[in-house]
Amino acid sequence: MIGKVLIANRGEIAVRIIRACREMGIETVAVYSEADRDALHTQLADEAVCIGPAPSSESYLNMQNIISATLISGADAIHPGFGFLSENSRFAELCEQCSITFIGPKSQVIQSLGNKSEARNTMINAGVPVIPGSKDPIYDAEEGAKIAAEIGYPVIVKAALGGGGKGMRVAQTPEEFENSFNTAQKEAQMAFGDNTMYIEHFVQHPRHIEFQILADEHGNVIHLGERDCSIQRNHQKMIEESPSIALTPELREKMGEAAVKAAKAAHYTNAGTIEFLLEKNNNFYFMEMNTRIQVEHPVTEWVTGIDLVKEQIRIADGKPLSYKQEDVHITGHAIECRINAENPAKNFRPSPGTITDMYLPGGKGVRIDSAIYSGYTVPPYYDSMLAKLIVHAKNRNEAIRKMRSALGEVIIEGIDTNVDYQYEILNHPDFISGNIDIEFIENLG
Amino acid sequence: MNLKDMFKKTSGRSHYISLRNSRPEVPTGLLRKCNKCGAAIIAEDVKNGYYICPKCHGYFRVHAYRRIEMIADEGSFEEWDKEMDFVNPLDFKGYEDKINHLKERTKLNEAVVTGKVMINGNPAVVGVCDGRFMMASMGWIVGEKITRAVERATEEKLPVIIFTCSGGARMQEGIVSLMQMAKTSAALKKHSDAGQLYVSVLTDPTTGGVTASFAMLGDIILAEPKALIGFAGPRVIEQTIGQKLPKGFQRSEFLLDHGFVDRIVEREELKDVLAQILEMHHSADAAKVKEVLKDAAKQNADEEKETVKEQIKSSLDAWERVQISRKKDRPVGTDYIDALFTDFMEFHGDRYFKDDHAIVGGIAYFHGIPVTVIAQAKGKTTKENLDRNFSMPSPDGYRKALRLMKQAEKFGRPVICFVDTPGAFCGLEAEERGQGEAIARNLFELSGLKVPVLSVVIGEGGSGGALAMAVADEVWMLENAVYSVLSPEGFASILWKDSKRASEAAEVMKLTAGDLKRLGIIEQVIPEPEEFTDENMEGVCGDLDGRIAAFLENYTEYSADELTARRYDRFRKM
Repeated sequence: MIGKVLIANRGEIAVRIIRACREMGIETVAVYSEADRDALHTQLADEAVCIGPAPSSESYLNMQNIISATLISGADAIHPGFGFLSENSRFAELCEQCSITFIGPKSQVIQSLGNKSEARNTMINAGVPVIPGSKDPIYDAEEGAKIAAEIGYPVIVKAALGGGGKGMRVAQTPEEFENSFNTAQKEAQMAFGDNTMYIEHFVQHPRHIEFQILADEHGNVIHLGERDCSIQRNHQKMIEESPSIALTPELREKMGEAAVKAAKAAHYTNAGTIEFLLEKNNNFYFMEMNTRIQVEHPVTEWVTGIDLVKEQIRIADGKPLSYKQEDVHITGHAIECRINAENPAKNFRPSPGTITDMYLPGGKGVRIDSAIYSGYTVPPYYDSMLAKLIVHAKNRNEAIRKMRSALGEVIIEGIDTNVDYQYEILNHPDFISGNIDIEFIENLG
Repeated sequence: MNLKDMFKKTSGRSHYISLRNSRPEVPTGLLRKCNKCGAAIIAEDVKNGYYICPKCHGYFRVHAYRRIEMIADEGSFEEWDKEMDFVNPLDFKGYEDKINHLKERTKLNEAVVTGKVMINGNPAVVGVCDGRFMMASMGWIVGEKITRAVERATEEKLPVIIFTCSGGARMQEGIVSLMQMAKTSAALKKHSDAGQLYVSVLTDPTTGGVTASFAMLGDIILAEPKALIGFAGPRVIEQTIGQKLPKGFQRSEFLLDHGFVDRIVEREELKDVLAQILEMHHSADAAKVKEVLKDAAKQNADEEKETVKEQIKSSLDAWERVQISRKKDRPVGTDYIDALFTDFMEFHGDRYFKDDHAIVGGIAYFHGIPVTVIAQAKGKTTKENLDRNFSMPSPDGYRKALRLMKQAEKFGRPVICFVDTPGAFCGLEAEERGQGEAIARNLFELSGLKVPVLSVVIGEGGSGGALAMAVADEVWMLENAVYSVLSPEGFASILWKDSKRASEAAEVMKLTAGDLKRLGIIEQVIPEPEEFTDENMEGVCGDLDGRIAAFLENYTEYSADELTARRYDRFRKM
């Protein structure tokens, strides 16, 4: 039985986990860096242990200190949250070696899924679709054209040593292929002194669709539907919603089955997320599996009514899942906006500092997960996310209206935030109509 | 705001005790505490990271076999004299039990492991002390194993590398232990007389009889950072003199400053440094050397003639040249080392008192041929100049130069010196340590050095301080370098009691390259461009490169006797 949990994280996720533990009657231990003495998680937990100086490498990433804090405080388990050590197989292994329950998958699973080519092979063997591509290096256009035809157009030609867009060309049709291949190869030879090429199917204007998985230690795996996280900037998600407007019930079932298959193939346990790219023609491809709780988990919680953090703890305690697949129903529509301390006008430069005044919205269907309070000083050392604003309503249109109304009420004084930028997205006709893909923010300019 | 006391904590239990079967605990051996910084560290990280603390970068002591794994090519180690029978020369009570107990615990036969290894493909005999075995104190077996290994190395013409670490003599073996110091040293003397290379690597801690024998006898002495190295242990010294010793006393860095260590080497690069040292001491193929030098000399000969004509400027007067020779942006000794040689490995210290930074020396390749390079080194900034004492060497500097020259002689390497000094350092400490003796000794020894010696005056050739590095087969000067018995200022003040007449003095002293060539003091003048800085050295260095190649091609032909006879004649005529 887990009776005391150490939370190896900070910010709103640490607070989120502390809250779940308290509801379950579990004692909590917060860890904090010297810069986080006044942080909410430090003050809210039953106990708090300082684990080092401000830089995360010396505190929130300091495995030895966190293990020591766990032993000293007498906790049974560590919840790693997201970021920091959450997907560090070495840390999970250390916990296993020290008989500390790591609230997440087994270290071996984290490691295999963290290795891109190993994960890809696991998925291919399990029959989960991956982006089709050449297995062997290709050196001439004629040979390449044959393989491109097998893969299916459009294709992208990539240099084996490529990076920064160099030695990369898209061929939309077989007619274009020879030219694209030769140009890319020439570029590769010039830039990297190597003309080894690979060909991959080019996924055009995809959406980022991810499926939430829960898997217990008794072999039960279920999915809790999808999240559409296409609104992202430099691979940083900004807005997430569930369900996705792009999925028909049939497609949801098909992708959900693939996600469950993927988790089973990886011998996955605990909460995890399978990320897919979804094309306009409804083809979808496995990208990677995130072996932790996600920032955007509240949208799934709201449409399914399942508390993911509590489930994580129950699973880690060896209990079977509380739900079967047929118990999972998606109700209404949820949207999450991430509120960050950053200035969109200055290329999203982080904006640490003291919050002088603050008002956050509430009401039916409005949830705020945050770790800020009036007078709190946002330290410059960590991620700039201040709060997550999540709304839930009967349908997408209502949810959008609710989110607009809630964003309009957010007042954070003293530092810059992206609230106005989020507000603009919520008013963008393409967002409203659901016509979005992962290039949405880029195309906003 | 303090919210902590305002929140109502909902948890009822405040003294939670886990009731699970497997209580969280760290299994033995998983974590270790660094004995230097106190941080908890993961044992495996230490093992995979050269036994260095990932937090404070402190060095842990390394077991002998791990040490061999770190430096040897995989599977190349061949152990010698693995099993030695126990000896107890004084019939010391309880000694055998203690040894048996240690044998069992450490799985070692004694405190040293010897044998043959390959290091990046270079064969060498190694000896590695292991501190777990009676603090690697030297009894008969340790002395015997090292002696046998060195003798076999002498026989098989192999270099020796010994990793030292020891508490000193083994008390249980009394006077027999003391004799091991003499025995090992004698074996190393024979090895050295046979022209073979010995490198000692001092690790923490190297003290007592081991320091006072094989540890300090290396042709090249390397040390690990912060290792304790000394004859008497610090505690003994403190008790004897009744004083607290300064921080860093008897550490590697202290020994480096005091001239006893050639170089401090980080563990990560130790294998490569050892391999490079071994490679630089391979005996060269004479025919191939000849060919390389011929090519290098020829390549420059064609271009050279034109540039010489173009650049020789007769219009400058002597005083103008004196001023150019002292210019701040003029290339300095280290610039020439960088430009003309590759893989320069600097060695430090005179083995008596200090490492003088006014002189930089070591081994480098000239077109792939190992040479010893020694330069009087001015700095480029005020800070550098303070460190290098404005290139005014102390006796320690000359003694370091001589040590490196004698080393070159032992291994048959030509010596190339770059002279650039206002004069030998004039000061209290310099006199205390025998500035005159040091210079005299260099003149004496250099005249008989059995390898080719070339000296190039690149800036100021100030008196005896310059001559101590210019008793050479040939002496060359850069066009605007000067070489004189005294500075023009000094000359004027002695002769005319007026140092302001320095410019006048410069004219009558005949100190320019052209004058000295006419007087037969030097052999060659190297032309310079108008504004000569480290930015436009290529021309001069290209020229020098060809000339040095020709010099070496020429002088490596001579036997040792011919060389010294010619050098004698060169100065006999003056």
